[in-house]
Amino acid sequence: MNRAGAIAIGIAAVVAIAAPFFLKPFGIFLISMWAVLTIAAIGLNLTLGYAGQISMAQGAFVGIGAYTLALLTQAGVPYPLAFVAAGLLCFAIGWLLGYPALRVQHHYLAFVTLAFTTLVFLFLRNEEWLTNGIYGVNGIMRPTFFGWSTGKAIDFYFFCVGSLTVLSLATWWMLRSPWGRAFVALRENPIRALSLGLDTRRYTLMAFAIGSSLGGLSGALFASLVQFIEPASFGLQRSFDLLLMVIVGGSGYFMGPFVGALISVLLPEWMRITEGYYLIVYAALIMAMMAFCPYGVLGMVERALKAAAVRRDPPTPALQSEAAGS
Amino acid sequence: MSAVLEVSDLRKTFGGITAVDGVSFEVRDGEILGIIGPNGSGKSTLFNCVLGQLSPSNGEVRVDGKVTTGMRPCDLNRLGVSRTFQLLQVFPQLSVRDNLILAGQEHQGSMYSRLIGRADAGLGEAADQMIAFFRLSHLAGEQAGSLSYGQQKLLDAAMAFMAGPRLVLLDEPAGGVNLTMLGLLRERLQAYHAERKATFVVIEHQMEFVMALCTRVLVLAEGRLIAEGTPQDIRRNPAVIEAYLGHGMPNA
Repeated sequence: MNRAGAIAIGIAAVVAIAAPFFLKPFGIFLISMWAVLTIAAIGLNLTLGYAGQISMAQGAFVGIGAYTLALLTQAGVPYPLAFVAAGLLCFAIGWLLGYPALRVQHHYLAFVTLAFTTLVFLFLRNEEWLTNGIYGVNGIMRPTFFGWSTGKAIDFYFFCVGSLTVLSLATWWMLRSPWGRAFVALRENPIRALSLGLDTRRYTLMAFAIGSSLGGLSGALFASLVQFIEPASFGLQRSFDLLLMVIVGGSGYFMGPFVGALISVLLPEWMRITEGYYLIVYAALIMAMMAFCPYGVLGMVERALKAAAVRRDPPTPALQSEAAGS
Repeated sequence: MSAVLEVSDLRKTFGGITAVDGVSFEVRDGEILGIIGPNGSGKSTLFNCVLGQLSPSNGEVRVDGKVTTGMRPCDLNRLGVSRTFQLLQVFPQLSVRDNLILAGQEHQGSMYSRLIGRADAGLGEAADQMIAFFRLSHLAGEQAGSLSYGQQKLLDAAMAFMAGPRLVLLDEPAGGVNLTMLGLLRERLQAYHAERKATFVVIEHQMEFVMALCTRVLVLAEGRLIAEGTPQDIRRNPAVIEAYLGHGMPNA
């Protein structure tokens, strides 16, 4: 990573730690939501941005994770176990959802995963014996670790940011391993990857499973953050929202989900100064952003930096003639 | 000399069309075999059947005596069979170096050791050697997509060699490459062959390239083998001339 990037991340970290001390409860709730949804967006960025498998199911995995945590903790399972179970269950279901991706791609795969999201929503709404249907699940606990209770908003915020830090470092580490290279190969040229010995089937399933498990862990935090969950929170809208975060932030950029989630969670709230029009203004801003920077905010930043570097240090004529001659 | 690759009675039909019609041949250890034939003669289909990209309708493929018919390309690759593609197939967003590391990484350790341990240790050095061998050192850090067409062809070949394969199938390596680059490519392929004693099969249109590179040539027309011999024999063979130029032009 270059120095400018390291400084930017350092400043962001300081802001993330200091912010809750200057915010009212609703502000703390919003930045907690940012941290929680960033985790789900990191998962989707892995599946879509790195491995190139479009998924409209990330919202459903947030839902599965949320209900898993809520129902298990209310059945008396300790919080850490329920938390891990949410991730594992979504890993397993994500693995299974990967199978259609071995057969279909692009918009076909989008529809398969869209159908899955609808299926999960209907399950949560109709299977009242398990999920309490449209009445949702109430009074979801927040954990206590070695005497540190995360019951208060600010404490729970730090729990969310801590989880985000650990999970994003783990993802960063994985993307730097041979697996990260294999995921990019899967996105860029699966046929060539296969001919170089990459078991594309297993890597595709893994990309789905790991991305989905991050969705599940995000859901577990989501449940404890809002403390009341209902099926409507995990419908198509949620999946689209997460997709928006990945695309707007910059699909395939590691920091993309952080930026995308910030825009998706905070921008509508800032737009409230326009009162009744705030969602209209928000939608218009997103459309403008996609028209002028289709590679997302980070894609735009990268292009601008590259253009500046070329202006500062134009390529020498010798290099140009070599490129033209070969 | 033992056979590295044996293909027996291979057939591939697509609906009513027979693309490859009962082809049998073997590739001997250490040779450079050329396969030529006009467009649509079934060369690429034959390649794809041998490499597991397509499953043949009939027939058998053996590598070092082991039946590999129906094996997936990735498993075949790990047995030591690699290939290049007719159309460019590099990973444009990865650097030249990462393209090569990727080409070697699946040959070391297990899938899980590639996540947990640093299973790609040593590959960076091997990649740098391969980059130097193909005269791409000045481009090692560049994104593969920013290279010229000819340079990407060199990279494509380098990737096929990265894991030290036993058998390399080259699908039109000279296609679309300018003369300077073509000379370099041919010279590098010959150098690699001489150094590592690898076995090559080359599909090619560019006759001069085949004649200069290959020790033995097979000619395919309409899905069948119509001739076999040294490059000199093939050049004089009337059946080959007819297949290439059609009927009624005997003096062409």
